[in-house]
Amino acid sequence: MTTAVDATLARLLDSPGITGVALVDAVTGLTYGVAGDADEAGNGVECAEFAALIAERLGRAGAEGELESVIMTSTRRHQVLLAVGRPVGDPLLLTAGMDRERANLALATRNLGDRAAEVLA
Amino acid sequence: MTTTGTTTDARNLPALLQSLHDQGFTGTVRVSGSPGGTIHLRGGLIGAVETPGAPTVTSVLLTPGRIDDDSWLAACAAERDTDRLGGHLVAAGLIGAAELEVVCTAAVFDAAFAMAIGPPGGWTLDDPEPTLLAGSGVEPRRLTEETTRRIARLSGPWGAPGELARVRPVPVPDAGLRRGLSDRHRSVLTAVNGRRTARDIAFTLGRGLYAVMLDLIRLEVQGLIRWETGGPSDGRPSTAPRVLPGRDAPGGPAATGAPAGSADSTASAVKAAPLPKRTPGGAAWPGAVRARQEPAAGGDVFSAGSSGGHGSL
Repeated sequence: MTTAVDATLARLLDSPGITGVALVDAVTGLTYGVAGDADEAGNGVECAEFAALIAERLGRAGAEGELESVIMTSTRRHQVLLAVGRPVGDPLLLTAGMDRERANLALATRNLGDRAAEVLA
Repeated sequence: MTTTGTTTDARNLPALLQSLHDQGFTGTVRVSGSPGGTIHLRGGLIGAVETPGAPTVTSVLLTPGRIDDDSWLAACAAERDTDRLGGHLVAAGLIGAAELEVVCTAAVFDAAFAMAIGPPGGWTLDDPEPTLLAGSGVEPRRLTEETTRRIARLSGPWGAPGELARVRPVPVPDAGLRRGLSDRHRSVLTAVNGRRTARDIAFTLGRGLYAVMLDLIRLEVQGLIRWETGGPSDGRPSTAPRVLPGRDAPGGPAATGAPAGSADSTASAVKAAPLPKRTPGGAAWPGAVRARQEPAAGGDVFSAGSSGGHGSL
């Protein structure tokens, strides 16, 4: 059965090169929904812990403000972790896998960022 | 209520929920124990879990002000059927469908975790009760696996997660001045005052218990809070008899061989003891009466909690 979260995530697959996308709780790592290839979107717990580790180390190094995104690039794909704005409540992460051959990283990341707020609509 | 033999013979709660899932059960599972709770199933899927051990969906929505009280009351008045309240909240534009689903799903997993870290109890099956549901519901196997993972994640030097949940963390001096803290960690730090447990903080902030416990661990690792030095409480007040000055008691000055009239021991004993009060026809020392009565009362409470179930977790 398609849930409301799955339905909003499925719309993000329209962007060229995005192979999988998931909505993850940035604190607990719980995955609320997935569209496309779940393996490409990444493991929710690992993504959340990785983003938390980076945010913590940046904070220790003196960085101010909240973490917005993490982009990892391998020879074949990109992995993007994007913070999803929320009025109140624990932060969420939009995790997306991209095919490097087909995706324009800058455009796809900007598109995801612009549409991240729609995920919770 | 129709249940099969497999259901009634389930060896634990996960097995029961899996059996009810296979049957497509719609109804309520009431779980005893501490904290215990209620599990709502629709067509075999878990639509909601409520427990005194973790904030409900209503708390998570109202405490931080995601939905204001007046709007909530108006929505409840307009839609009396709680099963359909979520749809009304979305239709009224108070919250998005996906965000409500996120909140409800998070509450299901958090309540299951809160119930799992407490002592096991029994269960009874009941008819469906209206409640705010988490979308299409959660499969029992997924709930069990995630709860197991959470318990493993929170097991550490402090022991099991249940013990960590009873600790009352204390902020270190000037912890709030530390730079580079996220707003979320700062809000948890503000709520830490040496009197609140993780559960208290979760209810204060309207956040999940598991998420708050994770944040507390991160704050402790960063040296911003410390666990209570006396170790976790056993959750039960002391019922030891009060020793009054001049009376011999096990462990007292007479028993330990310390000089009964030494200045330090006498001064501390006088500070700790109540003034003697004469009760006509009663015992000479009120403390002696309490010491005889309280263990019996406490024993009744504990035996009622452990024998009221219909099975074990």
